[in-house]
Amino acid sequence: MSRIQLEGLTRRFGSVTAVDDIWLDVADGEFLVLLGPSGCGKSTLLRMIAGLLPPTGGRVLLDDTDITHTPPRQRDLAMVFQSYALYPHLSVARNIGFPLRARRLPKATAQAKIADVAAVLDLTELLDRKPKELSGGQRQRVALGRALVRDPGAFLMDEPLSNLDAKLRSSTRAEISALHQRLAATVVYVTHDQVEAMTMATRIVLLDKGKLEQVGTPEQVYDEPASTFVAGFLGSPPMNLVPASLAPADGRTRARGTDIDLLLPFATELPARPVVLGVRPEHLVLTTPEDAGIRGVVRAVENLGSEEVAHCLVGDDRLCLRGPRPLGLRAGDPVHLRAAPEHLHLFDPDSGRRLAWQPTPVATSA
Amino acid sequence: MTGELVEVTVDRPAAGTPAPAAKPPLWQRFLRGAPPYLYLTPAIVLLVVWTYRPLAQTFQLSFHSWNLLPTSPVTEVGFANYERLLDTPDLGAALWRTVVVILGMLPFTLVIPVLVGLLSRRVRGRVGAAYRAMVFAPMLVAPVAGAAVWQWLLDPTGGVVDKVIGSPINWLHEAGPAQIAIIVITGWHIVGFAVLVVSAGLTGINPDYSAAAEVDGASRAQVTRWITLPLLSPTMAFLVLMTVLLSAQWTFPLIDTLTQGGPVGATTNIYYLLWDYGFHSYDAGLGAAAGVLFFVGFVVLAAGLVLVSDRLSTHDD
Repeated sequence: MSRIQLEGLTRRFGSVTAVDDIWLDVADGEFLVLLGPSGCGKSTLLRMIAGLLPPTGGRVLLDDTDITHTPPRQRDLAMVFQSYALYPHLSVARNIGFPLRARRLPKATAQAKIADVAAVLDLTELLDRKPKELSGGQRQRVALGRALVRDPGAFLMDEPLSNLDAKLRSSTRAEISALHQRLAATVVYVTHDQVEAMTMATRIVLLDKGKLEQVGTPEQVYDEPASTFVAGFLGSPPMNLVPASLAPADGRTRARGTDIDLLLPFATELPARPVVLGVRPEHLVLTTPEDAGIRGVVRAVENLGSEEVAHCLVGDDRLCLRGPRPLGLRAGDPVHLRAAPEHLHLFDPDSGRRLAWQPTPVATSA
Repeated sequence: MTGELVEVTVDRPAAGTPAPAAKPPLWQRFLRGAPPYLYLTPAIVLLVVWTYRPLAQTFQLSFHSWNLLPTSPVTEVGFANYERLLDTPDLGAALWRTVVVILGMLPFTLVIPVLVGLLSRRVRGRVGAAYRAMVFAPMLVAPVAGAAVWQWLLDPTGGVVDKVIGSPINWLHEAGPAQIAIIVITGWHIVGFAVLVVSAGLTGINPDYSAAAEVDGASRAQVTRWITLPLLSPTMAFLVLMTVLLSAQWTFPLIDTLTQGGPVGATTNIYYLLWDYGFHSYDAGLGAAAGVLFFVGFVVLAAGLVLVSDRLSTHDD
């Protein structure tokens, strides 16, 4: 297994920069998920790691060897494509065995390996079939088998679950996670599905417009989003973001906006400035009118089965509140909410970056 | 308190069988069903007028004797035309020459286009378009105009071809060279079209396959041999089918302009023979009989080739 390092990787298509100066260090055995909306450059980045697309600038290192200009077949990487790219004229066995055939492995050895992989993926019965005779889930397993058969240095996966139905997707998700743990393999996995990212990743890389927005464990990116983009991308519904301003009051700092007045966790008076205030829907709590930090009107209530989501209008902004069913709210009701100071997030309104509290270092006397 | 467990049933607003669904009146259903047939009508009319009716007339004419003069009588002769046709040695010789033309055309319709298509895959954008236009250009030259230029190039006294290869071959008036000349000129004419067909076939192959094969460790030659060519086989089968069915027809304008089937019948293939019977010998019945025979022969051949190409195609979905 291998470590992959990206140093300032950049790809331009004409005047469009699809991937912009990405620095990443994927540790050996890590399950790294590249997450972002379509068009964010995540697939382009993966294709550059695979060697299918030459970068405009920067370097790719595999186990400290520069492979930026190494052709794909000489990189020790396996890739699973979104379309699976199963060779339509070859049987399942020959599809799985293709990497071995290209490496001129003796037939007997290859047969044994194909049989092993087929047994692991429950494909033994299907070895003589053609791809067109398989269901979506079976095709997906054949694509995985073709990647598994030759013990590659790392696995690259480009949205491998996006063509499966919801039920199959969640079971395959668990299978891939289990496979990763058993093989201790390095995996770089591209997806636009935050559930896949949160459940499978050891680390998540969030990309927007070719730029790296945040790298961190699923807990880090969810609990401390580094920008309004990350905050607004993760979570369902995502974090509420409303304009507000800081107001010092009685040795503390409050965040104030239209119909919003919330106490922030900082035990000091911070100077007044405009901010974007963020709070997750599940951290908003219904309360009495006297205790309310947020006052609004319910516009609609969605029933999710176990929970309900209430869409509220506060000032001119929409806020979502998520809680166990029943919330006891109906459209048109006035709503009074509060949020604990430790659940509030602040972002810069211009750059969108997270604002974090940094205590001034105490000057040491000479 | 007493009671029992009952299964929960799905509620239905009303019991009983539903009333029959409202059907639009007959004329409205007819109007709704008509458009597909209306769209098909022009094509069917043209096919009937220009293909099926002449075919039926040819079939009918093949059992008659007629010299094409509107004033002379059309007499019924039964199978006499077919008997005469099969008795003459012309038919066998023309058939053999047709096979030679088809085999001679395959390099131009299959081998060269596949090679050029594979090599020119990486030429893209404006350069690629200009390149394809250049390759396709001969197709746009009218066969007769092309033939006139070639006649001049192949001239034994001052032609460029003989000057370049330094031989005194009288290309259009010696039996072997005449056949070669016809094949090469037809090939020159058709090769651009075949390249275009191959390019289209290559474009239709999902690039993920070759990308996957490269990541799987295959060299460029292996990708071509194991992935690209097998996936291109339906296109190649189509080109073989076209060549077998149409080669002799493609040569016709060139033969008529350059050699008139000569010297001594050396370039007379089945289509030229058919035309010769009908419009040189004014034996419409014999020409029609030859036409019917070739039609049946090509239908059988085409059916066989379509069967083979269906086997080859791996429907990619």
